[in-house]
Amino acid sequence: MNQEIKEILALLDQDLNQSTTLEKLRQVELTYLGKKGKLNQIFDKQTKEEKAKQGRVLNQAIQEAAQKIKDKSNSIIDQEANQKFDVTIPGILPPIGHLHLVTQAIKEISDIFEKIGFIRRRYPEIDTDWYAAEGLNIPKDHPARDDQETFYVSDNVVLTPHTSNGQLREMELVKKPPIKMINIGKTYRRQIDASHVPMFHQFEGLIIDKGINVTHLIGITNYFFQNYFGPDRKARLRPHHFQFTEPSFEIDISCGMCAGTGVLENGEKCRLCKSGWLELGGAGMVHPNVLKNGGLDPKKYSGFAFGWGVERVLTMKSNLNLGDLRNLYSTDLRILNQF
Amino acid sequence: MEALTLCGPSVDRLNQVENDYVYEIEAITNRVDTASAFGFAREASAILPLFGIPAKLINSPYDIKSTDLLERKTNKLPLEIKILDQDLVSHLSAIVLDNIVVGPSPKEIASQITISGSRPINNLVDVTNYLTLCFGQPVHIFDYDKIGGHKMILRTSKPSEKVQTLDGRNHELLGGDIVIEDGDGRLIDLCGIMGGKLSEVDENTKRAVLFVQTYQPKKIRRTSLYTQERTLAAQIFEKNPDSKLVVPTLIEGVRLLNLYANARVAGDSIDIYTAKPEPKTLKLDLKWLNNLIGIKFDVVTVISILKDLGFDISKKTDLQLEVKVPTWRLHDISIPEDLAEEVARVYGYFRLEGKLPLVPNLSYSTNSLLNWEYLAKKYLADIGFTEIFNYSLISQDLYQKSGISSDHSISLKNPLTIEFEHMRRSLIPSLLMDLENNQGKIDLPMRIFELSNIYIANEHAADKLPEERSILALGTQGLDFRTSKGYLEALFKQLHLKNINFTSHDDNLGPWQKNQTAQIYSDNHFLGMFGPIKTLVKANFNLKGEVYLANLDFQTIANLSNTESIYNPISEFPDFIEDITIESKLYISELIQLIKQENSLITKVIYKESFQNRHTFTIHFNDSTKNLSQDEVNVLKTKLLKIS
Repeated sequence: MNQEIKEILALLDQDLNQSTTLEKLRQVELTYLGKKGKLNQIFDKQTKEEKAKQGRVLNQAIQEAAQKIKDKSNSIIDQEANQKFDVTIPGILPPIGHLHLVTQAIKEISDIFEKIGFIRRRYPEIDTDWYAAEGLNIPKDHPARDDQETFYVSDNVVLTPHTSNGQLREMELVKKPPIKMINIGKTYRRQIDASHVPMFHQFEGLIIDKGINVTHLIGITNYFFQNYFGPDRKARLRPHHFQFTEPSFEIDISCGMCAGTGVLENGEKCRLCKSGWLELGGAGMVHPNVLKNGGLDPKKYSGFAFGWGVERVLTMKSNLNLGDLRNLYSTDLRILNQF
Repeated sequence: MEALTLCGPSVDRLNQVENDYVYEIEAITNRVDTASAFGFAREASAILPLFGIPAKLINSPYDIKSTDLLERKTNKLPLEIKILDQDLVSHLSAIVLDNIVVGPSPKEIASQITISGSRPINNLVDVTNYLTLCFGQPVHIFDYDKIGGHKMILRTSKPSEKVQTLDGRNHELLGGDIVIEDGDGRLIDLCGIMGGKLSEVDENTKRAVLFVQTYQPKKIRRTSLYTQERTLAAQIFEKNPDSKLVVPTLIEGVRLLNLYANARVAGDSIDIYTAKPEPKTLKLDLKWLNNLIGIKFDVVTVISILKDLGFDISKKTDLQLEVKVPTWRLHDISIPEDLAEEVARVYGYFRLEGKLPLVPNLSYSTNSLLNWEYLAKKYLADIGFTEIFNYSLISQDLYQKSGISSDHSISLKNPLTIEFEHMRRSLIPSLLMDLENNQGKIDLPMRIFELSNIYIANEHAADKLPEERSILALGTQGLDFRTSKGYLEALFKQLHLKNINFTSHDDNLGPWQKNQTAQIYSDNHFLGMFGPIKTLVKANFNLKGEVYLANLDFQTIANLSNTESIYNPISEFPDFIEDITIESKLYISELIQLIKQENSLITKVIYKESFQNRHTFTIHFNDSTKNLSQDEVNVLKTKLLKIS
């Protein structure tokens, strides 16, 4: 039997040399030390007298084998711990897609307003002259019409140049105030150059109720600025004119680069803004004629509305440096895949 | 500068020129009364005091009275003016001058003209331009001796009448324009826009007619737009300037011409008022004013602001003011809201503090279509698609190139170019164009999509608006059929659409390839098409390799989308997993159905591959009540192999 044991242990040494992984080692362990392992088989083959005489020798062999296996196990673990792997190797990316910047901006804007109870709408892009102009207190032949350079489908049907058609439609839909909506949609103007594209997006906010006043417009504007641009940004109103609002305002936002001071930290004049302010867009108290056209009594209700460009706030926020606005509507994936 | 910008006309730039300053201002379109040096000063006199800067308005043209200058007639030169249509001009004034010596303007006038961005010409023309910039009242001067028969007939033009203006341009008129015909039947003025060449003053002019008037705004605008003569005079007249400025401007003109061109009055001044401005009084309710703006105004402040702006307070109580509108504001002040704007803007919007309004939240849900659109877009971006925004307008050419019909599509009457002439009836043409634009610029595979409205004309009711329908179009290039289809199936899973099936389809394929294209259904709801693109269309767009397009009706998808999950209890007992190969000519989906239906112990059928008509599947067998044996599974397998 001693000879058998010696042979088995020699085989074990060979097998241990081949065991390069813990898994292989486990197989070896099973083969030699398992219930039906080689060493236990010898034990089973022995008679009662042989077991009594040689028991200790066998036990020693088993212990020796176990130790050899444990040592090998430790050495494998150590080796694995010291094995060098180049962690700088690039990973394999799963397919990565991109939402358009305009979609991202619309979502952000929509969320900000929905959070305080505005209903999100999308009113028609192709609308009648009534909803797009006449009902908004812009009579036919009025100078205000040409400024918008409208696309016509027929004498009476246009591609809406602004989301303000939503004001009349919302009043008709809801019928009785309170009205609190944000209409975001595509708008069209007959102009194309480095800062104008013929199709763009606007978001139109409208609140109508009893006792709505100018300070509410300022409050909502500040709320939007602080949530979209940052807590340090402020709104400023200047006198302006729109046919569908009275009073009318041009709204500015304080410049993010120079903290609204017009001067940078190094003392230089800020080149991004006009004396600390950037023009954002128009707003005003809804004109009584528009309220009437929407079926509401201007003696009972008042409201404010604002209409701003999605592309405008988008480019103002991120300092994208797109240069030409037409790049935003590029179909080149080398651009779109950057966002 | 800031004060004015915050409360009135915006000051865009302030430049120092020698000892003087030049303000570049922007007057808003309904405030023609601020589009002049005097108008701007008038605004400043009302606004500056609110910034603690005392300001008094001086040299107002409204204070100019008829002087003896006008009575000092040495000569009486005849001039007959006839107005054929009272509607054309609300106030007309003119005077004949003689003894004129034409020469360069003196420095004080010439420099003002230059700094204002124009070119000094001579002392006559410069005085007229100076007055226009100073008071905002355009002025014209004719050479008296060039007016045939010394007769001026003010009328509308007939169609095709011709006139040459001072800039040398020849205009053939459409008719309905305001013109002056002289005694010889010639057109010598395109009124309100630009003087006529025939009556132009030159270095030899000795006698002149100074001419100041206010015209019918609509006619001026119309003529100015189609002749493309957007002169300063036209831009002022179309916005209804104050007719009360006419005579003071005339008087000042005479004074300046006397001073700088030696001119003497040679006749009675002509002053014809066809339409005197109607006085207007508005009631301003103070409580209402406070409610509209949102603060409590001090009555004293309100009154002082209005007075400084030229409004007269004709009556006042604790609750209400009766406000008389000055003549130069009759065109833009009509309702109390207009007065509220005057008070609030001069007071300063920047003094108002913002408050969030308390408006109860409305209980009905928002448009769920918009939510599903965003979810679908986000998911597609997350699994590898890039979103593209294409313009809503395409060309007729692009429709044809793509094999898509332009039936029921909407075209523009005034497109920018033919590239942007038709509203899209399908997103496919744009998507094909997008693939083409990216050939060779980016590594394949490409995965793109657009989710936008298409516009379907309402043929049965031309006056009804078109339908705007939400469509999702996707495209892949460099991926095979199964991978491309997999993306669609994943999207449908994400939206929890039920019972999706793809059926082979060969009618009305448009750009899709016959025998390889599917119609997609959820139960019996048609969702859209998917398949490879025809070789011909691929060639039109220079596309190589495999190109798959899907066109889905997103409106329908949104209606069917939901967030419902179903829970199926899992079995305690392990699956038996075995592969099986079946020979059959049936469609794979039919085969899978038959396999599933064979026995309820078959819980999963996963398609692996096919070779000719031999299809291999991995089948999962499971009994939730006990452990299956190999023998039981073999029996089932034998049954399955009988399917063909």
